[in-house]
Amino acid sequence: MSDRRAILGRMAAPALLLVLAGAVLLPANIGLRLDRADSSASRGMNAALDRLPVDPMVLVGFDADLGTYAEVRPTVRALLADLLARGANLAFISLTPEGRALAIAELNRLDRLEANPRQIMDLGFLPGAEAALVALARGLGPNAADGTISALLGTTELPDPGMALVIGGNDLGPRSWVEQVAPRRESLEIVAVAPTVLLPELQPYLASGQLAALLATPRDGAAYRASVELGPLERLAEPVEPSSLAILLGVLAAVMVLGHSLGGGLASALRAVRSRETS
Amino acid sequence: MVAVVGVLLLADLLLVNASLAEIAGVAIDAAILVAAGAALAAVASLALRRAGDLVRRRGDPIGAAVVLGGMAAVLIAGLRPGANGSSDPAVGWLVSALLIPMGATLFALLFVTTLAASRRSLATRSREATVLVTAAVVVLVLLLPIGGGVGAWLSGAAGWALDVPIGAVFRGMLVGVAILAAVLAARTVFGVGTTDE
Repeated sequence: MSDRRAILGRMAAPALLLVLAGAVLLPANIGLRLDRADSSASRGMNAALDRLPVDPMVLVGFDADLGTYAEVRPTVRALLADLLARGANLAFISLTPEGRALAIAELNRLDRLEANPRQIMDLGFLPGAEAALVALARGLGPNAADGTISALLGTTELPDPGMALVIGGNDLGPRSWVEQVAPRRESLEIVAVAPTVLLPELQPYLASGQLAALLATPRDGAAYRASVELGPLERLAEPVEPSSLAILLGVLAAVMVLGHSLGGGLASALRAVRSRETS
Repeated sequence: MVAVVGVLLLADLLLVNASLAEIAGVAIDAAILVAAGAALAAVASLALRRAGDLVRRRGDPIGAAVVLGGMAAVLIAGLRPGANGSSDPAVGWLVSALLIPMGATLFALLFVTTLAASRRSLATRSREATVLVTAAVVVLVLLLPIGGGVGAWLSGAAGWALDVPIGAVFRGMLVGVAILAAVLAARTVFGVGTTDE
């Protein structure tokens, strides 16, 4: 019996991965729609984008991390495509090495898919963590404090953005932007896309209005993606939506495994209490 | 020095003065340069350590060779004559075709390994682990990707949980961290209570 359990235990993880892979390959989502729930975050993002002027400059703080980027990637790509479709000029900057690596990959992809290169500026990587954010806030726009930031970024064409889009996940995410950039550039609206794990940390900033909009769960992202009309730039978005069935099966498997462990622990605790009572 | 720079940066945040901004800018730029130097030193230290492992055949020589090979590949791609630094297509290919897929594959295994770790932590009968896993199960249920009425209810419940109990805890933490940081900064700036105490 114990051998059987051991074999089953060893088979469980590969079997789960096979089931998830099968669910991803299924063509339809069998009635499951991520975007049909609450769409308030999506409406907030659209409202923030609607407030942008004509042909705006948007500073993209790209500091996602490899571990969580898969969760936000479809939303990030749709949002970048949406901004380009609205005529925005995007200036990418990263303050973490990992964010820079992911930014390079996204910039390569935009180049491969023939996004308008005149709308995209690569400001590269800026070391210095929070100090770099402070320098960036001081160095942007016509009233820039000095030209050092231009020298560090290797360009004299520093943008004067009306909005900062922060792709979070790494140490220097939307929270750092709100803390370091917002007090120094009050006119700059900050919107963010972040993985679910950062949602509790960012919710207070969203509630206070320091973050103009936030997409931070797969549901919020799906609702936003369903709301955008990209027209010819549809090619810049992900061609296939994440499989709701695979997500549902994964979550259910996690709930079952953890529930089983919790239930087992509870049952053994109850047995221990009963045996103490009877003895 | 710390006191002077601290007061200078604080004054620059509170006052609008071009001369003050210029001096504060020098301090901030110096911090950026120090950070960049520290990052380079860390990379050099890693390379030396791994080269030592490789030469002396200690630790994991194959891993050391892979690390050094990877560093050399990116350096050659980005710094060879005529290259365009990190924006060079060769660096882009190394990052897009190798680094990110490999990293994503490793992190994809987190789903299985986290579940296994949670089971193991519950097996220790620790009260903290039980609370942690129970909270995780509740959050997972609230985030179930279901549409329609049930999905809307779950979404509403998730929103309430975020706004009220979780939001309260995080607001408290953020306020606490801010107060602590302000107190620590003030103590550092004014030289009160050094680590020698």
